[in-house]
Amino acid sequence: MKKKTIILSAFLISAITTMAQITTSLFVNPAPPSSLYEWGSRKDVLTYVVVVQGGLQAQVKIKAELKLADGTIAGTTNLSTAKTYPLRDGNNLFGATDVLPLEAMLFNGKYKKAYEATGKLPADNYQLCVTLVRPVDFTPIGETRCRSFNLASLQLPIPVMPLQDAILTSEQARTAIIFRWTPVVPKPSAPVQYRVQVFPVLHDQTPMQAFRSNPPLLDKAVTGTTQYIWQPQLSTLAYSTEADSSSNKNLTFIWTIQATDGAGNPLSDGNINGDGRAEPMVFHIAPPVNGSKKLKEEVKKLN
Amino acid sequence: MCLSQKPFSISGTAGVNYEHYGLSRSPSGWTGFTPRKPWNQVRFTFMPNIQFGKNFKLPLNINIATRATNFAGPFSGIGKQNFSQYITNPLNTIGANPKYKWAELQLGTQYLNYSALSTGDVGVFGAGFDLRPKKYMIKFFYGLSQQGVNFFTGPPAVTGAYKRNNWMFQFGKAEEGKYEVSLNFVKARDAVASLITPPPTVKPQEGFTTSFVTKANFAKKWYINFEGAHSYYTKNTLLPVDTTIPSFKPFIEAHTSTVRDWAADAGIGRKSKNFDIGARVKYIGAGFQTPGYPFMLPDRLDYTLNTRILAWKNKMNITASAGQRVNNVKNTALRAKQFIGNLNWFTQFNDHWSLNLSYNNFGFQSASGINPFGIKNVSNDLGINPTYTWMNEKVMHLLSLNYNYSKYDERDIITGNITSNNAHTVLLTYVPTFLTKEFTPDFSVMYFNNKLPLFQLTLITVSSGLSMPFAKKKGNFRGQLQYNYSKTNSNKNNNNIIASCTVDWKLTKKLTWNNFFSSNYFKYGNEIIPNNASYLESNIRTGLLYRFGK
Repeated sequence: MKKKTIILSAFLISAITTMAQITTSLFVNPAPPSSLYEWGSRKDVLTYVVVVQGGLQAQVKIKAELKLADGTIAGTTNLSTAKTYPLRDGNNLFGATDVLPLEAMLFNGKYKKAYEATGKLPADNYQLCVTLVRPVDFTPIGETRCRSFNLASLQLPIPVMPLQDAILTSEQARTAIIFRWTPVVPKPSAPVQYRVQVFPVLHDQTPMQAFRSNPPLLDKAVTGTTQYIWQPQLSTLAYSTEADSSSNKNLTFIWTIQATDGAGNPLSDGNINGDGRAEPMVFHIAPPVNGSKKLKEEVKKLN
Repeated sequence: MCLSQKPFSISGTAGVNYEHYGLSRSPSGWTGFTPRKPWNQVRFTFMPNIQFGKNFKLPLNINIATRATNFAGPFSGIGKQNFSQYITNPLNTIGANPKYKWAELQLGTQYLNYSALSTGDVGVFGAGFDLRPKKYMIKFFYGLSQQGVNFFTGPPAVTGAYKRNNWMFQFGKAEEGKYEVSLNFVKARDAVASLITPPPTVKPQEGFTTSFVTKANFAKKWYINFEGAHSYYTKNTLLPVDTTIPSFKPFIEAHTSTVRDWAADAGIGRKSKNFDIGARVKYIGAGFQTPGYPFMLPDRLDYTLNTRILAWKNKMNITASAGQRVNNVKNTALRAKQFIGNLNWFTQFNDHWSLNLSYNNFGFQSASGINPFGIKNVSNDLGINPTYTWMNEKVMHLLSLNYNYSKYDERDIITGNITSNNAHTVLLTYVPTFLTKEFTPDFSVMYFNNKLPLFQLTLITVSSGLSMPFAKKKGNFRGQLQYNYSKTNSNKNNNNIIASCTVDWKLTKKLTWNNFFSSNYFKYGNEIIPNNASYLESNIRTGLLYRFGK
């Protein structure tokens, strides 16, 4: 009994000493990326600083707890599988992959379901609380630091005008083509820049092939609105590609919207390319009236 | 008497064309207008379809260009290409599909569409087959959808991409016009070691998608189709393996960046000569991503209803559709709804008069509140297009008037104020077709006005076209000349003249010389600095096209 009391006393003294020598601070971006795996690739999302003084050498694990405003725990670190880190004298910096190691995180209920399906947690206000613990018995070392942040995944724009496979008349398209799209939702705090991009589809190209290989006829950045009026300044005559005249062919175009932040970086939520581009849409410009199939057929009938 | 099959026949085309683009800007050093095409480009096409006897076909599909022009996608910004990059660049297609009876070999570049949720958008360079013994379908293809491209800061900057291997397999049964059932498997994996300088923003990925497709036609006029799909997608294979996320071994092992979700696409409808009706529902889960459709946006639910009615002795044709798209279905952010409705109503009243009416509406709304208010955008477009034709012994006249009113309202989420963006378009077209002469001219005038608070844009276009054969119909000329006047607010107006023509000449029965010439001169007023800036674009395309066979 006496022996146990001595060991316990020594342990407590050691813990108090350790606490006195370790100070921590936590920074979390108030609006981090919605996909948790992206946190690790960005330095501005999470920084945890542990300052050790007095030449202390110690091994620690980092315990993270993700909570909602009402205290509901969305996820917590599985300390038995979490990495152990050595602390050195001076500043010890930890990033998102150290503090929130996804391979060692245990999410609960609907948060687990959402994370497994989407890599994201449901949109809400969260709090991240971080504590250093001993590797053996997980007893806390130092204070718990908590920071709040908001998770909301962005929905990229969707082109709505011209609609998929819309056919515009040659006479109208020569002057102006109106492009409209839905805005990025929810509206980010920084202004979104929308780049309207229109690519020609050449004969024998699929629209997606043209999109991935041709230079754009239009690449225009628009801020603060979801409409752009394009004056194409293009001939609507088709280059003949067959031995007989192909003047009756539509000209085909594929267009998209690329959403970027103020610095021109693509908003990465959305497709697998992470380039901020909306799913492209195809539209056509009909041949000029005097070359139209309908008119030729009518004249043929009369003759 | 028995008709014998020709032992050898060939059809299709082969050609070469050269395109030149020129741009001169004034004052010199002004860069307010950037080039829209490469300065020079040469394209070759070789697409013969060779048939040996009754059962063997050899279609070739070769389309290549000398200069890479990629802007979007994995080859973005690439300049000099090595051979493997050249042949896998989506700009170039080199493919052959030899076919013997029901067995087809697929070689080289192939754009294979297995289904709407598995694969269909991506060109893959490789080898595979498409077998159709009796009613069965067995398809497999393996190849590269993109070659490794090293990151380069530039200029010009190259985004960079990992080499991506693609596999696809389909097994099913189908009877044309009756039913189809199939299972699709699609996999893609980036080769991490394929680059010397990996791109900082692009990560190596891996995806595996399974889909089940069923289609059936029944009761003569009815059809039904359904596809259900499940995907696993790892967005960064450099991140650690995660045993807490379910894997689907041996096809894919989960990492911390792996997502997995469902998608479905179902439709039912009835088609007949005078009446069509159909309904479609499409759901893409928030974590559903497939390598076969790299630009597919997840997390949405679309449902649409469409119809077509042909009435009044085929003189009236009505098409209409209405639907809604719900974004953020999984509630990973605020849910938003989008309504889309279209109506097109054409009536031919008599030999002289016809009228086309069209109406398009879309509305987009996110969950509402007060400061910030929810996003709300509403677009309404109304088009009225009467056409009158009359004729005498020598000329058939066509006069067409087109009026379009477009209203677009956007709500400011802070103030709640709605900004109306209104556009009016009036277009008058006149086309006299001379019954005894070979040429057909056309004339049109268009007025466009777009107004919103503190901004007004006015455009006026006058254009004319001419189409005529020449040299005993061996040649064909089409020309267009147009003048555009544009003015914003109280600025001095801009002027724009565009002249273009095509000249096609049949050199022999099978060989045609095709030419396209275009020039575009634009002179600004004082809406930009420097005032009176101008540019001249020129575009020349000339080429020979040979048609195989008769």
